Amino acid sequence: MSEILIKNASVCDPAQGINCETMDICIRDGKIVDSVSENAKVIDAEGKLTMAGGFDGHTHSAGKINVGRFMNPNDAKKNLVPGLSGQVARTEKTRAQVGYNTPNTYAIGYRYAKLGYTTICEAAIPLLAARHTHEEFKEIPILDKMGLSLFGSNWQVMEYIRDKEPEKLAAYIAWGLKASRGYGVKIVNPGGGEAWGWGKNVSGLYDPVPNFDVTPAEILMGLAEANERLQLPHSVHVHCNNLGKPGNYATTIETMKLFEKVKPSRDRQSLHVTHVQFNAYAGTSWRDFETGAPMVADYVNGADHMTFDLGQVIFGPAMTMTADGPVEYANARMLHEKWSNQDIELEDASGVVPLFYSPKSFVNAVQWAIGLELALLVKDPWKVMFTTDSPNGGSFVNYPEAFTYLMSEKRRAEVISGFSKMALDRMVLPGIDRELDFYELAVMTRSTQSKMYSMPEKGNLKVGSDADIAIYDILPGHVDPSTEYAKVKKAFSGAAYTFKNGEIVVKDGEIEETPKGKTYWVNAKVPENIDTAMQKDIDRKFRKYYTVSKANYMVEDMYLQKPVEIGTEGVF
Amino acid sequence: MQVVKLSLKKANKIPIEADNANPDNFAGKTAEEIGAIPVWYGNGQCPLGDLFNVEVEGSGSVENTKIVFEGDVSRVKRIGQNMSAGEIEINGNVDMHCGFGMKGGKVVINGDADSWLGCEMAGGEIILNGNASYYVGSGYRGESCGMRGGKITVNGNTKDYLGEHMCGGEILVKGDAGLLPAISNNGGKIVIEGSATMPASEMKNGTVIIKGEVFDLLPSYKEEEGTEEVEGVTYRKFTGDVNVGGKGVLLIK
Amino acid sequence: MPVIKDAVCSLCGSLCDDITVTVENNKITKIENACILGHSKFVGMFEHDRIETPMIRKDGELVPVPYEEAIEAAAKILVNSKRTLSYGWCSTSCEAVSGAIQLAEETGSIIDSTANVCHGPSALAAQEKGSPSATLGEIKNRADVIIFWGCNPVHAHPRHMVRYSSFSKGLFTEKGRKGRTMIVVDVRKTDTAKLADRYVEIEQGSDLLLVTALRSIVNGHEDVIPKTVAGVPKAEVVELAETLKNAKFVCIFFGMGVTQSRSKYKNGDAMSSLISDLNQHTKAVMIGMRGHYNVTGFGQVATWETGFPMAIDFARGYPYYNPGETGANDLLVREEPDAAIIAAADAGAHFPQKAVRHLARIPVIQIDPYANPTTEIADVVIPAAVVGIEAEGTAYRMDAISLRMKKLIDSKFKTDEEIVKDLTEKVREMKRGA
Repeated sequence: MSEILIKNASVCDPAQGINCETMDICIRDGKIVDSVSENAKVIDAEGKLTMAGGFDGHTHSAGKINVGRFMNPNDAKKNLVPGLSGQVARTEKTRAQVGYNTPNTYAIGYRYAKLGYTTICEAAIPLLAARHTHEEFKEIPILDKMGLSLFGSNWQVMEYIRDKEPEKLAAYIAWGLKASRGYGVKIVNPGGGEAWGWGKNVSGLYDPVPNFDVTPAEILMGLAEANERLQLPHSVHVHCNNLGKPGNYATTIETMKLFEKVKPSRDRQSLHVTHVQFNAYAGTSWRDFETGAPMVADYVNGADHMTFDLGQVIFGPAMTMTADGPVEYANARMLHEKWSNQDIELEDASGVVPLFYSPKSFVNAVQWAIGLELALLVKDPWKVMFTTDSPNGGSFVNYPEAFTYLMSEKRRAEVISGFSKMALDRMVLPGIDRELDFYELAVMTRSTQSKMYSMPEKGNLKVGSDADIAIYDILPGHVDPSTEYAKVKKAFSGAAYTFKNGEIVVKDGEIEETPKGKTYWVNAKVPENIDTAMQKDIDRKFRKYYTVSKANYMVEDMYLQKPVEIGTEGVF
Repeated sequence: MQVVKLSLKKANKIPIEADNANPDNFAGKTAEEIGAIPVWYGNGQCPLGDLFNVEVEGSGSVENTKIVFEGDVSRVKRIGQNMSAGEIEINGNVDMHCGFGMKGGKVVINGDADSWLGCEMAGGEIILNGNASYYVGSGYRGESCGMRGGKITVNGNTKDYLGEHMCGGEILVKGDAGLLPAISNNGGKIVIEGSATMPASEMKNGTVIIKGEVFDLLPSYKEEEGTEEVEGVTYRKFTGDVNVGGKGVLLIK
Repeated sequence: MPVIKDAVCSLCGSLCDDITVTVENNKITKIENACILGHSKFVGMFEHDRIETPMIRKDGELVPVPYEEAIEAAAKILVNSKRTLSYGWCSTSCEAVSGAIQLAEETGSIIDSTANVCHGPSALAAQEKGSPSATLGEIKNRADVIIFWGCNPVHAHPRHMVRYSSFSKGLFTEKGRKGRTMIVVDVRKTDTAKLADRYVEIEQGSDLLLVTALRSIVNGHEDVIPKTVAGVPKAEVVELAETLKNAKFVCIFFGMGVTQSRSKYKNGDAMSSLISDLNQHTKAVMIGMRGHYNVTGFGQVATWETGFPMAIDFARGYPYYNPGETGANDLLVREEPDAAIIAAADAGAHFPQKAVRHLARIPVIQIDPYANPTTEIADVVIPAAVVGIEAEGTAYRMDAISLRMKKLIDSKFKTDEEIVKDLTEKVREMKRGA
């Protein structure tokens, strides 16, 4: 039995409504408890901000990121955020590290932990390539992991929706999650992946997918229905159609509206829209491109069925990676950049393209502003998850820098002062004076995630929760983030302590221990007769169309590190 | 004026990585201080003085510091890496990455140079009085910008991929240049007095002049009407690479 | 009598996963679905020259020793080395590769794969231009024009055309071979070329010229094409370009004829650009025909663990990568390594003479199921179980899809994974002692 007493911590835990109150936290055997014995090890956290461990609910950290590493070996030595990037030699405690946008697996674990983050959700697992994702998970130390499985351009999904077989569709989703050991349903540019199989794309919610006679809107509604039928812990997680195109804010709002009629089966949103920055563009071309954030925020402020994340841009080099194959091809052609593509048979597409966000580019400057506008114009922080869609908008190691943008108007003004007049004319950020406080920041980086993923043991410091805790060397009330943003950045860049399951993994910004993290996956129960009927259909898919056998498709138990199976009961 | 003379105590097969051996690090230092500078040798580090005899005459600023390598240093990598000023003279063959990322000053090599001479160089001058190997003035793997400025003169031949991804500066090769010189050139000037094979593939910008024979001209260059005269020599003028919408100029005889 | 279904064949990069194996008394007695090469791997295991016991060279002779002694001798070589080369690791599991990388990291070694002598240039090409690809099922279900360029699957990947490409049938390719145009580009009329609808014979080493010409035509610059390119008349080149542009779905499978010919990685680089250009008109992808069954897996594991796919130098404690400098052959030709591990590959047979001569001079540790020319120069020989038959583990198909290889029969030999683990433990122990 191991016990720890964190004394005099300045606790900020929005899940309990605790806003920077001085209190003690007790830990026993990896969990937060009411009290501990006198034998407990005492950590003095006086004067230090204490939160639940950070939770990155949308990051590309395993699987596709390997293509990014592979095609950009020049990323390895980039040391743009000292202490959190570049080449680091191995030590007795840590493996060798490289990279900035595409760090090796070990660096991903260490660096998230240094930021006080303890859980990550990989944003895109292709079912057929899921084994690979889990192989990388195994080599990411410290963090708990989960991933979202891709269903948005899947033949079987589209056929069941076209043929109006909602029960079999739900059974297929349950099976797909099991096959890939995924946590939730990811939909990327619904139907667009299949169109990309022919070098094409879909143009919006009602543009039918070639050869399958379904529309993106039908795919979204069909999957949402299946998602709720299975009572999955997370809602569908949607990357909207038309990503990256001027004028796409309309598609985004239209998508959000579609879900007003979806009734969530659990106490959470019925829709999560991801990296909305890339989907909140107004204008009709890159010439008259401007922010669409006010319109999107307006809608979100009046809606209560959804959450979203930012996809904030960080200036400098980034590595874009997405299942949205046609978008990456367009990026590569427009920017004359390297282009990797990997279409997955019967399932989806994907692409990877490096790019550089420059404050001198008016488009990039406006993109940077849109992310912040969304965060600041949406009134309720519980609807907002902070992300950079790492490393699409920029590497996660820049989160502390991004926090200063959210917490300080002065800091924003500093950055904005370098923008062209054309850029300023296309954004509304300069007129926004809202500054987030530590409580709101905790909501966007921890509490929202716990709620939206139905993970009550994560993202809060309640008794019974996992003892994943971040302690930062900064004291709310004694520092003014609005002016002293350098202190904010420093404190968040290297936690005084990070606890993972009650173990000190980071101390004074350095790695102390590197335990293995857990892998969460969802096993949704489906009536046997429906499952059997569905299996017949996919057996045919394997016999005729797949190039691997069904038996070899399923991710075996041995690939899951410390698996945590979340069971749900499908309603049929 | 400060002159630092270095000579290897004994020949080595395992390369020494002398990325600290440049005027910026040596200026104003005594022989003992220079001898104490760590260098990588295989999978360990040791003081420079364990491997080299170090002699120092005078003391000077970086601009006034000259380093002289006496004898063969064909297994000493990264000499002059990132140097900003001063001079390095190498009286023998030198290993890879000599003058990597150099920003100023001068490197004179009285011998042959191994691959990546002047890789990602931004300023200064390299004079090679011998032959060069692969990737003179190129960039690191995956980088889209190689040499950015400065000048490299090769008085002998070079092997393949001369000036790959060059975005600025100038390279002059008095001899032959091997396969695919000036590939992906994006603003540099390359003059080859000898022969070259498949020059200027995917050139976006810049000028490439080849005085000797050209083998296998790539089918992505458009021959312009008329001729062009440079320093009294008449050339046929090609523009391209058409496949990258290139505005590069390729002059051949 | 156990019959094992859906076994994965660990021979070539096609990684066929539909093999049925019958095992009687710990012997494989029947193999179904495998090609002749795969079949011979499954049964031939007993016919080939297995290394029967660990051995150490004493007074010039290899002498049998227990595993422990061989591991200790190998560890001693590693801790005394300033520059070890660890090479091969492609006919083994990803789990073994992972262990080998950790060992290289802890000993400040260089680790490289057999890609150094085959598809390494494909990685360099991807680092220039990216890798526009797809899984093999995309070809099966969609491709109406397939090019085999510098590869000969009839002999190297015998079931490839039936399972994944020319002859396969899928949702949008119901007619199979009849509905497809198959083109072969090569320097000689191979057996694959004999099956093609069109064979384009090019001059040795002129791949880049032809790819560039195709790009120029696809991009609307037919005017710059000379009368012949790579020995092919302009009209034929134009016709080929038109065939590609007018296809519904093009796949170029490329082999070592592309990666190891004159302009090496610049061929793949330009081919990648050709694919990108073709996507302005149609859908196109490319896939490398990888030889060793898990050379792709080495690249994958090395990339996520070190950031780089091959030729990784840990001398400074962190990974450094620069093929041409840190590749196995680069190092051996320069006589840099003072010790070597050669595992799950044969350096003795595939390296240039100068490299082999240097290997003969330095202490060499061999880890392999089979005796081969490397055994002749090895100082410590550690026999291993055959992965995919006697040991399980992960492998990556040529299109980067990973599959679980099964253990079919028991073996008295340790697995690569176990050997590397023991070796790492022993090295740690010695270092602690020092």
